[in-house]
Amino acid sequence: MFEAQALRSGYGEMAVLKDLTFSVKDEVFAVLGANGAGKTTLLKTLARLLPLQGGSLSLNGADVSNAPAYAMPDAGVAYVPQEGNVFPDLSVQENLSIGGRTGHRPKAEKLEEVFTLFPRLKERRGQAAGSLSGGEGQMLAVARALMQDPKVLLLDEPSAGLSPLFVDTLFSSIAETRKERGLTIVLAEQNAVKTLEIADRVMVLSLGEMHLLRPRSELEMSDITAAYHI
Amino acid sequence: MDYLIFSFSLMLVYIGLAQLLHVQFGLLGIPNFGVVGFWGLGLYGTGVLYVSYSMPLIVAILLASLITAAVAYILSHLVLQRSGQAILAATLAFAAIVATLIITEKDITGGVQGLGTIGFPFADVASRNVIYFFLLMVVVVLLIWISAKLRDSRMGRSLIAIRDNEELAASLGKDTAGTKRGVFVLTCALMGLLGGLTAPLHQFLVPYLLAPSLTFAVWIALVLGGKGHNLGAMVGVFATFGLFDILIETYAPVPAEQAILLPNFKLFCYGVLLVMIIMFRPAGMLGVDGPRTRARPATTPAGDASVKEG
Repeated sequence: MFEAQALRSGYGEMAVLKDLTFSVKDEVFAVLGANGAGKTTLLKTLARLLPLQGGSLSLNGADVSNAPAYAMPDAGVAYVPQEGNVFPDLSVQENLSIGGRTGHRPKAEKLEEVFTLFPRLKERRGQAAGSLSGGEGQMLAVARALMQDPKVLLLDEPSAGLSPLFVDTLFSSIAETRKERGLTIVLAEQNAVKTLEIADRVMVLSLGEMHLLRPRSELEMSDITAAYHI
Repeated sequence: MDYLIFSFSLMLVYIGLAQLLHVQFGLLGIPNFGVVGFWGLGLYGTGVLYVSYSMPLIVAILLASLITAAVAYILSHLVLQRSGQAILAATLAFAAIVATLIITEKDITGGVQGLGTIGFPFADVASRNVIYFFLLMVVVVLLIWISAKLRDSRMGRSLIAIRDNEELAASLGKDTAGTKRGVFVLTCALMGLLGGLTAPLHQFLVPYLLAPSLTFAVWIALVLGGKGHNLGAMVGVFATFGLFDILIETYAPVPAEQAILLPNFKLFCYGVLLVMIIMFRPAGMLGVDGPRTRARPATTPAGDASVKEG
Protein backbone atom coordinates (compact mmCIF):
# COMPACT_ATOMS: atom_id res chain seq x y z
CA MET A 1 0.00 0.00 0.00
CA PHE A 2 1.47 3.40 0.98
CA GLU A 3 5.22 3.80 1.49
CA ALA A 4 6.46 7.21 2.70
CA GLN A 5 10.16 8.11 2.83
CA ALA A 6 11.22 11.31 4.65
CA LEU A 7 7.86 12.81 3.73
CA ARG A 8 7.63 16.59 4.06
CA SER A 9 4.45 18.47 3.33
CA GLY A 10 2.50 21.56 4.33
CA TYR A 11 0.86 24.70 3.08
CA GLY A 12 2.79 27.04 0.80
CA GLU A 13 6.25 27.51 2.23
CA MET A 14 5.24 26.29 5.69
CA ALA A 15 6.22 22.69 6.45
CA VAL A 16 3.76 20.86 8.71
CA LEU A 17 4.89 17.26 8.31
CA LYS A 18 8.60 16.81 8.98
CA ASP A 19 10.44 13.86 7.44
CA LEU A 20 7.93 11.12 8.15
CA THR A 21 8.98 7.61 7.19
CA PHE A 22 6.35 4.90 7.50
CA SER A 23 4.40 2.34 5.53
CA VAL A 24 0.74 1.40 5.53
CA LYS A 25 -0.05 -2.25 4.87
CA ASP A 26 -3.30 -4.19 4.70
CA GLU A 27 -4.55 -2.93 8.08
CA VAL A 28 -6.37 -0.25 10.05
CA PHE A 29 -3.60 2.31 10.45
CA ALA A 30 -4.52 4.89 13.08
CA VAL A 31 -3.02 8.36 13.24
CA LEU A 32 -3.50 9.98 16.63
CA GLY A 33 -2.50 13.40 17.86
CA ALA A 34 -3.75 16.60 19.42
CA ASN A 35 -5.11 19.56 17.44
CA GLY A 36 -2.42 20.90 15.09
CA ALA A 37 -0.43 17.67 15.18
CA GLY A 38 -0.65 17.30 11.38
CA LYS A 39 -3.22 14.50 11.05
CA THR A 40 -5.34 16.27 8.43
CA THR A 41 -2.23 17.42 6.58
CA LEU A 42 -1.02 13.82 6.45
CA LEU A 43 -4.31 12.52 5.04
CA LYS A 44 -4.50 15.35 2.49
CA THR A 45 -0.94 14.55 1.45
CA LEU A 46 -1.78 10.85 1.02
CA ALA A 47 -4.84 11.92 -1.05
CA ARG A 48 -2.42 14.11 -3.10
CA LEU A 49 -4.37 17.26 -2.28
CA LEU A 50 -1.17 18.82 -0.93
CA PRO A 51 2.14 18.83 -2.81
CA LEU A 52 5.20 17.16 -1.33
CA GLN A 53 7.90 19.53 -0.10
CA GLY A 54 10.39 16.71 0.17
CA GLY A 55 10.77 12.94 0.35
CA SER A 56 8.73 10.47 -1.64
CA LEU A 57 5.43 8.63 -1.56
CA SER A 58 4.52 5.43 -3.34
CA LEU A 59 1.33 3.42 -3.61
CA ASN A 60 1.57 -0.30 -4.33
CA GLY A 61 5.11 0.25 -5.59
CA ALA A 62 4.22 3.09 -7.98
CA ASP A 63 5.64 6.53 -7.26
CA VAL A 64 2.75 8.93 -6.59
CA SER A 65 4.87 11.81 -5.26
CA ASN A 66 3.73 14.04 -8.12
CA ALA A 67 0.39 12.41 -8.91
CA PRO A 68 -2.60 14.79 -9.11
CA ALA A 69 -5.44 14.32 -6.63
CA TYR A 70 -7.90 13.43 -9.39
CA ALA A 71 -5.80 10.36 -10.31
CA MET A 72 -6.01 8.81 -6.85
CA PRO A 73 -9.57 7.36 -7.00
CA ASP A 74 -8.58 5.30 -10.04
CA ALA A 75 -5.58 4.11 -8.03
CA GLY A 76 -8.03 2.85 -5.38
CA VAL A 77 -7.81 5.66 -2.82
CA ALA A 78 -10.93 7.26 -1.32
CA TYR A 79 -10.72 10.25 0.99
CA VAL A 80 -13.34 11.40 3.53
CA PRO A 81 -12.47 14.87 4.85
CA GLN A 82 -13.44 15.99 8.33
CA GLU A 83 -15.35 19.10 7.23
CA GLY A 84 -17.10 20.13 4.04
CA ASN A 85 -17.43 16.49 3.08
CA VAL A 86 -20.66 16.70 1.06
CA PHE A 87 -21.85 18.80 -1.89
CA PRO A 88 -24.69 20.73 -0.24
CA ASP A 89 -26.57 21.73 -3.43
CA LEU A 90 -26.68 18.19 -4.80
CA SER A 91 -29.13 15.57 -3.54
CA VAL A 92 -28.02 12.59 -1.47
CA GLN A 93 -28.25 10.32 -4.50
CA GLU A 94 -26.36 12.78 -6.71
CA ASN A 95 -23.60 12.92 -4.07
CA LEU A 96 -23.42 9.14 -4.10
CA SER A 97 -23.45 8.97 -7.90
CA ILE A 98 -20.40 11.23 -8.11
CA GLY A 99 -18.53 8.73 -5.95
CA GLY A 100 -19.80 5.82 -8.02
CA ARG A 101 -18.06 6.85 -11.22
CA THR A 102 -14.86 5.00 -10.37
CA GLY A 103 -14.56 1.23 -10.17
CA HIS A 104 -15.91 -1.42 -12.52
CA ARG A 105 -19.15 -2.53 -10.88
CA PRO A 106 -22.51 -1.07 -12.01
CA LYS A 107 -23.44 2.07 -10.12
CA ALA A 108 -26.92 0.71 -9.25
CA GLU A 109 -25.38 -2.32 -7.55
CA LYS A 110 -23.08 -0.15 -5.44
CA LEU A 111 -25.95 2.18 -4.61
CA GLU A 112 -28.06 -0.69 -3.28
CA GLU A 113 -25.11 -1.83 -1.17
CA VAL A 114 -24.60 1.52 0.55
CA PHE A 115 -28.35 1.92 1.02
CA THR A 116 -28.35 -1.44 2.82
CA LEU A 117 -25.46 -0.28 4.99
CA PHE A 118 -27.01 3.16 5.61
CA PRO A 119 -30.83 2.84 5.27
CA ARG A 120 -31.29 6.42 6.46
CA LEU A 121 -29.65 7.63 3.25
CA LYS A 122 -32.18 5.71 1.18
CA GLU A 123 -34.99 7.57 2.95
CA ARG A 124 -33.29 10.85 2.16
CA ARG A 125 -32.07 10.04 -1.35
CA GLY A 126 -33.89 12.97 -3.01
CA GLN A 127 -33.07 15.51 -0.32
CA ALA A 128 -30.39 18.19 -0.69
CA ALA A 129 -27.24 17.06 1.13
CA GLY A 130 -26.91 20.51 2.69
CA SER A 131 -30.08 19.90 4.70
CA LEU A 132 -28.78 16.72 6.39
CA SER A 133 -27.79 16.61 10.06
CA GLY A 134 -24.12 16.24 11.02
CA GLY A 135 -24.41 12.49 11.52
CA GLU A 136 -26.29 11.96 8.27
CA GLY A 137 -23.72 14.09 6.43
CA GLN A 138 -20.91 11.94 7.84
CA MET A 139 -22.80 8.79 6.79
CA LEU A 140 -23.17 10.22 3.29
CA ALA A 141 -19.47 11.05 3.07
CA VAL A 142 -18.46 7.53 4.12
CA ALA A 143 -21.08 5.97 1.83
CA ARG A 144 -19.85 8.05 -1.12
CA ALA A 145 -16.29 6.89 -0.45
CA LEU A 146 -17.49 3.25 -0.42
CA MET A 147 -19.21 3.87 -3.78
CA GLN A 148 -15.70 4.35 -5.18
CA ASP A 149 -14.91 0.67 -4.49
CA PRO A 150 -11.64 1.76 -2.87
CA LYS A 151 -8.73 -0.36 -1.73
CA VAL A 152 -7.57 2.31 0.72
CA LEU A 153 -9.95 4.50 2.72
CA LEU A 154 -8.59 7.72 4.25
CA LEU A 155 -10.88 8.83 7.10
CA ASP A 156 -10.23 12.20 8.71
CA GLU A 157 -11.75 12.42 12.21
CA PRO A 158 -15.06 10.80 11.30
CA SER A 159 -16.28 11.08 14.90
CA ALA A 160 -15.78 14.86 15.16
CA GLY A 161 -18.97 16.61 16.28
CA LEU A 162 -21.06 13.44 16.50
CA SER A 163 -23.09 12.19 19.48
CA PRO A 164 -21.35 9.41 21.49
CA LEU A 165 -23.95 6.82 20.52
CA PHE A 166 -23.41 7.47 16.83
CA VAL A 167 -19.64 7.32 17.28
CA ASP A 168 -20.10 3.72 18.50
CA THR A 169 -22.25 2.91 15.45
CA LEU A 170 -19.78 4.57 13.12
CA PHE A 171 -16.75 2.71 14.47
CA SER A 172 -18.68 -0.59 14.27
CA SER A 173 -19.47 0.21 10.62
CA ILE A 174 -15.81 0.96 9.92
CA ALA A 175 -14.72 -2.33 11.52
CA GLU A 176 -17.43 -4.24 9.65
CA THR A 177 -16.49 -2.64 6.33
CA ARG A 178 -12.85 -3.53 6.89
CA LYS A 179 -13.81 -7.13 7.63
CA GLU A 180 -16.23 -7.53 4.71
CA ARG A 181 -14.32 -5.69 2.01
CA GLY A 182 -10.74 -6.18 3.20
CA LEU A 183 -10.18 -2.45 2.96
CA THR A 184 -7.02 -0.79 4.18
CA ILE A 185 -8.08 2.10 6.40
CA VAL A 186 -6.00 5.09 7.43
CA LEU A 187 -7.91 6.65 10.30
CA ALA A 188 -6.94 10.05 11.74
CA GLU A 189 -8.65 10.57 15.09
CA GLN A 190 -8.57 12.40 18.40
CA ASN A 191 -10.74 9.79 20.08
CA ALA A 192 -7.92 7.46 21.15
CA VAL A 193 -10.12 5.07 23.16
CA LYS A 194 -12.45 4.26 20.26
CA THR A 195 -9.59 4.18 17.76
CA LEU A 196 -7.63 1.59 19.77
CA GLU A 197 -10.65 -0.74 19.60
CA ILE A 198 -10.28 -1.16 15.84
CA ALA A 199 -6.68 -0.18 14.99
CA ASP A 200 -3.96 -2.67 14.01
CA ARG A 201 -1.12 -0.15 14.24
CA VAL A 202 -0.97 3.32 15.73
CA MET A 203 1.11 6.36 14.84
CA VAL A 204 1.15 9.35 17.17
CA LEU A 205 1.99 12.72 15.66
CA SER A 206 2.99 15.84 17.53
CA LEU A 207 3.73 19.11 15.73
CA GLY A 208 4.22 17.24 12.47
CA GLU A 209 6.77 14.77 13.86
CA MET A 210 6.24 11.08 14.48
CA HIS A 211 6.64 10.18 18.15
CA LEU A 212 5.33 6.67 18.16
CA LEU A 213 4.58 3.92 15.65
CA ARG A 214 3.72 0.56 17.11
CA PRO A 215 1.30 -2.36 16.70
CA ARG A 216 -1.80 -2.02 18.83
CA SER A 217 -0.96 -5.24 20.67
CA GLU A 218 2.27 -3.70 21.98
CA LEU A 219 0.68 -0.49 23.07
CA GLU A 220 -0.71 0.83 26.35
CA MET A 221 -2.85 3.92 26.74
CA SER A 222 -0.07 5.41 28.89
CA ASP A 223 2.30 5.24 25.87
CA ILE A 224 -0.12 7.30 23.85
CA THR A 225 -0.67 9.81 26.64
CA ALA A 226 3.08 10.20 26.99
CA ALA A 227 3.48 10.73 23.23
CA TYR A 228 0.64 13.30 23.22
CA HIS A 229 2.51 15.38 25.79
CA ILE A 230 5.84 15.51 23.97
CA MET B 1 -40.80 48.48 -36.50
CA ASP B 2 -37.14 48.16 -37.42
CA TYR B 3 -36.23 49.64 -34.05
CA LEU B 4 -38.35 47.04 -32.26
CA ILE B 5 -36.73 44.20 -34.20
CA PHE B 6 -33.32 45.68 -33.37
CA SER B 7 -34.25 45.89 -29.66
CA PHE B 8 -35.62 42.37 -29.52
CA SER B 9 -32.55 41.08 -31.35
CA LEU B 10 -30.32 42.79 -28.78
CA MET B 11 -32.44 41.31 -26.01
CA LEU B 12 -31.80 37.86 -27.44
CA VAL B 13 -28.07 38.56 -27.33
CA TYR B 14 -28.38 39.62 -23.67
CA ILE B 15 -30.34 36.44 -22.88
CA GLY B 16 -27.62 34.39 -24.54
CA LEU B 17 -24.89 36.16 -22.58
CA ALA B 18 -26.84 35.69 -19.34
CA GLN B 19 -27.22 31.95 -20.08
CA LEU B 20 -23.46 31.65 -20.57
CA LEU B 21 -22.84 33.59 -17.36
CA HIS B 22 -25.28 31.24 -15.63
CA VAL B 23 -23.06 28.33 -16.68
CA GLN B 24 -19.86 30.14 -15.66
CA PHE B 25 -21.04 31.53 -12.35
CA GLY B 26 -24.32 29.80 -11.47
CA LEU B 27 -23.06 26.28 -12.12
CA LEU B 28 -19.27 26.57 -11.89
CA GLY B 29 -18.78 29.59 -9.61
CA ILE B 30 -16.45 31.60 -11.86
CA PRO B 31 -17.26 35.31 -11.30
CA ASN B 32 -16.58 36.60 -14.81
CA PHE B 33 -16.87 40.39 -14.73
CA GLY B 34 -15.34 40.71 -18.17
CA VAL B 35 -18.38 39.61 -20.19
CA VAL B 36 -18.23 42.75 -22.33
CA GLY B 37 -14.54 42.07 -23.05
CA PHE B 38 -15.18 38.62 -24.55
CA TRP B 39 -18.32 39.82 -26.32
CA GLY B 40 -16.37 42.85 -27.57
CA LEU B 41 -13.54 40.70 -28.91
CA GLY B 42 -16.08 38.79 -30.97
CA LEU B 43 -17.79 42.01 -32.06
CA TYR B 44 -14.66 43.85 -33.13
CA GLY B 45 -12.90 40.70 -34.36
CA THR B 46 -15.82 40.13 -36.73
CA GLY B 47 -15.83 43.81 -37.72
CA VAL B 48 -12.10 43.92 -38.51
CA LEU B 49 -12.09 40.61 -40.43
CA TYR B 50 -15.22 41.56 -42.38
CA VAL B 51 -14.35 45.17 -43.16
CA SER B 52 -10.55 45.17 -43.42
CA TYR B 53 -9.99 41.65 -44.76
CA SER B 54 -13.25 41.27 -46.70
CA MET B 55 -13.99 37.88 -45.22
CA PRO B 56 -17.51 36.46 -45.55
CA LEU B 57 -19.53 37.34 -42.44
CA ILE B 58 -19.96 33.79 -41.17
CA VAL B 59 -16.23 33.08 -41.54
CA ALA B 60 -15.40 36.34 -39.77
CA ILE B 61 -17.75 35.49 -36.88
CA LEU B 62 -16.32 31.97 -36.45
CA LEU B 63 -12.73 33.19 -36.67
CA ALA B 64 -13.44 35.96 -34.15
CA SER B 65 -14.91 33.34 -31.78
CA LEU B 66 -11.73 31.28 -32.13
CA ILE B 67 -9.62 34.37 -31.34
CA THR B 68 -11.82 34.96 -28.26
CA ALA B 69 -11.29 31.32 -27.24
CA ALA B 70 -7.51 31.69 -27.58
CA VAL B 71 -7.48 34.83 -25.42
CA ALA B 72 -9.77 33.14 -22.85
CA TYR B 73 -7.40 30.16 -22.79
CA ILE B 74 -4.42 32.38 -21.93
CA LEU B 75 -6.45 34.25 -19.33
CA SER B 76 -7.69 30.99 -17.79
CA HIS B 77 -4.10 29.88 -17.13
CA LEU B 78 -3.36 33.17 -15.42
CA VAL B 79 -6.39 33.59 -13.18
CA LEU B 80 -8.73 30.61 -12.87
CA GLN B 81 -6.94 28.91 -9.97
CA ARG B 82 -6.91 32.16 -7.95
CA SER B 83 -9.59 33.27 -5.48
CA GLY B 84 -12.99 34.53 -6.57
CA GLN B 85 -12.06 38.15 -5.87
CA ALA B 86 -8.91 37.81 -7.97
CA ILE B 87 -10.89 36.35 -10.89
CA LEU B 88 -13.45 39.13 -10.58
CA ALA B 89 -10.77 41.86 -10.61
CA ALA B 90 -8.75 40.23 -13.38
CA THR B 91 -11.71 39.74 -15.74
CA LEU B 92 -12.90 43.30 -15.07
CA ALA B 93 -9.40 44.56 -15.88
CA PHE B 94 -9.33 42.37 -19.00
CA ALA B 95 -12.52 44.01 -20.30
CA ALA B 96 -11.03 47.46 -19.62
CA ILE B 97 -7.88 46.48 -21.54
CA VAL B 98 -9.94 45.29 -24.53
CA ALA B 99 -11.95 48.54 -24.52
CA THR B 100 -8.75 50.62 -24.30
CA LEU B 101 -7.05 48.70 -27.11
CA ILE B 102 -10.10 49.25 -29.33
CA ILE B 103 -9.60 53.01 -28.86
CA THR B 104 -5.79 53.13 -29.10
CA GLU B 105 -5.24 50.66 -31.96
CA LYS B 106 -7.11 52.84 -34.42
CA ASP B 107 -5.22 51.53 -37.45
CA ILE B 108 -6.93 48.20 -36.92
CA THR B 109 -10.17 49.10 -35.16
CA GLY B 110 -10.88 52.59 -36.44
CA GLY B 111 -10.52 53.96 -32.87
CA VAL B 112 -13.11 56.49 -31.76
CA GLN B 113 -14.10 57.13 -35.39
CA GLY B 114 -15.56 53.66 -35.57
CA LEU B 115 -15.53 50.73 -37.94
CA GLY B 116 -18.11 49.85 -40.57
CA THR B 117 -20.20 49.10 -42.31
CA ILE B 118 -21.20 45.55 -41.49
CA GLY B 119 -24.25 44.47 -43.39
CA PHE B 120 -26.75 41.74 -42.71
CA PRO B 121 -26.34 38.50 -44.56
CA PHE B 122 -28.94 37.84 -47.29
CA ALA B 123 -28.51 41.46 -48.49
CA ASP B 124 -31.03 41.01 -51.31
CA VAL B 125 -33.92 40.14 -49.02
CA ALA B 126 -36.15 43.02 -47.91
CA SER B 127 -36.90 41.72 -44.42
CA ARG B 128 -33.36 40.55 -43.75
CA ASN B 129 -33.42 42.00 -40.21
CA VAL B 130 -36.45 39.82 -39.39
CA ILE B 131 -34.74 36.73 -40.79
CA TYR B 132 -31.63 37.62 -38.80
CA PHE B 133 -33.77 37.98 -35.66
CA PHE B 134 -35.06 34.43 -36.09
CA LEU B 135 -31.54 33.20 -36.78
CA LEU B 136 -30.42 34.78 -33.51
CA MET B 137 -33.39 33.19 -31.78
CA VAL B 138 -32.34 29.75 -32.99
CA VAL B 139 -28.83 30.29 -31.57
CA VAL B 140 -30.14 31.58 -28.22
CA VAL B 141 -32.81 28.88 -27.86
CA LEU B 142 -30.07 26.34 -28.50
CA LEU B 143 -27.97 27.93 -25.72
CA ILE B 144 -30.95 27.85 -23.33
CA TRP B 145 -31.64 24.21 -24.20
CA ILE B 146 -28.01 23.20 -23.64
CA SER B 147 -27.90 25.13 -20.37
CA ALA B 148 -31.12 23.45 -19.18
CA LYS B 149 -29.90 19.98 -20.10
CA LEU B 150 -26.54 20.66 -18.49
CA ARG B 151 -27.94 21.05 -14.97
CA ASP B 152 -29.32 17.52 -14.85
CA SER B 153 -26.46 15.92 -16.71
CA ARG B 154 -23.42 14.17 -15.30
CA MET B 155 -21.32 17.11 -16.50
CA GLY B 156 -23.63 19.61 -14.78
CA ARG B 157 -23.42 17.76 -11.47
CA SER B 158 -19.63 17.76 -11.79
CA LEU B 159 -19.65 21.52 -12.32
CA ILE B 160 -21.82 22.06 -9.24
CA ALA B 161 -19.55 19.75 -7.24
CA ILE B 162 -16.49 21.76 -8.30
CA ARG B 163 -18.29 25.01 -7.46
CA ASP B 164 -19.34 23.75 -4.02
CA ASN B 165 -16.07 22.14 -2.96
CA GLU B 166 -13.20 22.02 -5.41
CA GLU B 167 -10.88 20.01 -3.14
CA LEU B 168 -13.51 17.37 -2.45
CA ALA B 169 -14.35 17.15 -6.15
CA ALA B 170 -10.67 16.62 -6.96
CA SER B 171 -10.44 13.85 -4.38
CA LEU B 172 -13.34 12.15 -6.18
CA GLY B 173 -11.48 12.02 -9.46
CA LYS B 174 -12.47 15.31 -11.08
CA ASP B 175 -9.78 17.21 -12.98
CA THR B 176 -11.10 20.45 -11.50
CA ALA B 177 -8.55 22.81 -13.08
CA GLY B 178 -8.99 21.24 -16.51
CA THR B 179 -12.78 21.28 -16.29
CA LYS B 180 -12.87 24.92 -15.19
CA ARG B 181 -10.50 25.90 -17.98
CA GLY B 182 -12.43 23.97 -20.61
CA VAL B 183 -15.84 25.36 -19.64
CA PHE B 184 -14.47 28.90 -19.27
CA VAL B 185 -12.82 28.86 -22.70
CA LEU B 186 -15.89 27.36 -24.39
CA THR B 187 -18.37 29.77 -22.80
CA CYS B 188 -16.12 32.77 -23.49
CA ALA B 189 -15.82 31.66 -27.13
CA LEU B 190 -19.64 31.55 -27.28
CA MET B 191 -19.74 35.07 -25.79
CA GLY B 192 -17.43 36.03 -28.66
CA LEU B 193 -19.80 34.30 -31.07
CA LEU B 194 -22.70 36.36 -29.71
CA GLY B 195 -20.50 39.46 -30.10
CA GLY B 196 -19.88 38.53 -33.72
CA LEU B 197 -23.58 37.98 -34.28
CA THR B 198 -24.25 41.44 -32.80
CA ALA B 199 -22.00 43.19 -35.35
CA PRO B 200 -24.59 43.27 -38.18
CA LEU B 201 -27.21 44.63 -35.74
CA HIS B 202 -25.08 47.70 -34.95
CA GLN B 203 -23.62 47.84 -38.48
CA PHE B 204 -21.17 50.53 -37.35
CA LEU B 205 -18.93 49.68 -34.39
CA VAL B 206 -17.81 52.33 -31.90
CA PRO B 207 -15.83 51.88 -28.65
CA TYR B 208 -18.83 53.10 -26.64
CA LEU B 209 -20.44 49.70 -27.28
CA LEU B 210 -17.83 48.13 -25.01
CA ALA B 211 -18.90 50.08 -21.92
CA PRO B 212 -18.90 48.00 -18.70
CA SER B 213 -22.64 48.63 -18.38
CA LEU B 214 -23.24 45.58 -20.61
CA THR B 215 -21.46 43.35 -18.11
CA PHE B 216 -23.39 44.89 -15.23
CA ALA B 217 -26.72 44.56 -17.06
CA VAL B 218 -26.11 40.85 -17.65
CA TRP B 219 -25.02 40.34 -14.04
CA ILE B 220 -28.03 42.23 -12.70
CA ALA B 221 -30.30 40.11 -14.91
CA LEU B 222 -28.68 36.94 -13.58
CA VAL B 223 -28.99 37.99 -9.93
CA LEU B 224 -32.59 39.20 -10.40
CA GLY B 225 -33.72 36.03 -12.11
CA GLY B 226 -31.71 33.69 -9.90
CA LYS B 227 -28.16 32.62 -10.60
CA GLY B 228 -28.88 29.02 -9.67
CA HIS B 229 -31.85 28.72 -12.02
CA ASN B 230 -31.58 27.97 -15.68
CA LEU B 231 -34.44 30.27 -16.65
CA GLY B 232 -33.50 32.93 -14.08
CA ALA B 233 -31.11 34.61 -16.49
CA MET B 234 -33.86 34.88 -19.10
CA VAL B 235 -36.45 36.24 -16.66
CA GLY B 236 -33.85 38.75 -15.44
CA VAL B 237 -33.25 40.05 -18.96
CA PHE B 238 -37.01 40.45 -19.50
CA ALA B 239 -37.31 42.33 -16.19
CA THR B 240 -34.46 44.70 -17.02
CA PHE B 241 -33.69 45.11 -20.71
CA GLY B 242 -37.15 44.04 -21.87
CA LEU B 243 -39.03 46.24 -19.43
CA PHE B 244 -36.90 49.39 -19.64
CA ASP B 245 -35.12 49.37 -23.00
CA ILE B 246 -38.05 48.10 -24.98
CA LEU B 247 -41.37 48.66 -23.22
CA ILE B 248 -40.75 51.95 -21.41
CA GLU B 249 -38.41 53.56 -23.94
CA THR B 250 -40.68 52.63 -26.85
CA TYR B 251 -44.18 52.91 -25.49
CA ALA B 252 -44.18 55.04 -22.31
CA PRO B 253 -45.68 58.49 -23.05
CA VAL B 254 -42.64 60.41 -21.86
CA PRO B 255 -42.31 64.05 -23.04
CA ALA B 256 -39.33 64.51 -25.34
CA GLU B 257 -37.55 66.92 -22.99
CA GLN B 258 -37.67 64.32 -20.17
CA ALA B 259 -36.80 61.34 -22.34
CA ILE B 260 -33.16 62.21 -21.86
CA LEU B 261 -33.55 61.25 -18.20
CA LEU B 262 -34.74 57.73 -19.02
CA PRO B 263 -31.30 56.03 -19.03
CA ASN B 264 -30.56 57.43 -15.57
CA PHE B 265 -34.03 56.46 -14.35
CA LYS B 266 -33.37 52.98 -15.70
CA LEU B 267 -30.13 52.66 -13.71
CA PHE B 268 -31.93 53.94 -10.60
CA CYS B 269 -34.64 51.30 -11.01
CA TYR B 270 -32.03 48.57 -11.60
CA GLY B 271 -30.43 49.56 -8.30
CA VAL B 272 -33.72 49.54 -6.37
CA LEU B 273 -34.72 46.20 -7.92
CA LEU B 274 -31.36 44.70 -7.04
CA VAL B 275 -31.56 45.85 -3.41
CA MET B 276 -35.13 44.54 -3.08
CA ILE B 277 -34.21 41.17 -4.54
CA ILE B 278 -31.12 40.80 -2.34
CA MET B 279 -33.14 41.76 0.76
CA PHE B 280 -36.31 39.77 0.17
CA ARG B 281 -35.45 37.04 -2.30
CA PRO B 282 -31.71 36.42 -2.28
CA ALA B 283 -31.99 33.38 -4.54
CA GLY B 284 -33.58 35.55 -7.26
CA MET B 285 -37.11 35.72 -8.65
CA LEU B 286 -37.16 32.04 -9.59
CA GLY B 287 -35.20 30.87 -6.57
CA VAL B 288 -32.74 28.03 -6.50
CA ASP B 289 -32.86 25.24 -9.05
CA GLY B 290 -31.72 22.64 -6.59
CA PRO B 291 -32.24 18.90 -6.46
CA ARG B 292 -35.83 17.68 -6.57
CA THR B 293 -36.33 17.38 -2.85
CA ARG B 294 -38.78 15.45 -0.80
CA ALA B 295 -40.11 17.04 2.35
CA ARG B 296 -38.06 16.14 5.37
CA PRO B 297 -40.01 14.66 8.31
CA ALA B 298 -40.88 17.36 10.81
CA THR B 299 -39.55 15.29 13.68
CA THR B 300 -36.74 12.78 13.76
CA PRO B 301 -37.47 9.30 15.09
CA ALA B 302 -36.89 9.04 18.81
CA GLY B 303 -33.68 7.42 19.86
CA ASP B 304 -32.00 8.02 16.53
CA ALA B 305 -28.39 8.40 17.55
CA SER B 306 -27.24 9.63 14.18
CA VAL B 307 -29.19 12.84 14.33
CA LYS B 308 -27.64 15.64 16.28
CA GLU B 309 -29.74 18.27 17.92
CA GLY B 310 -31.22 20.77 15.51
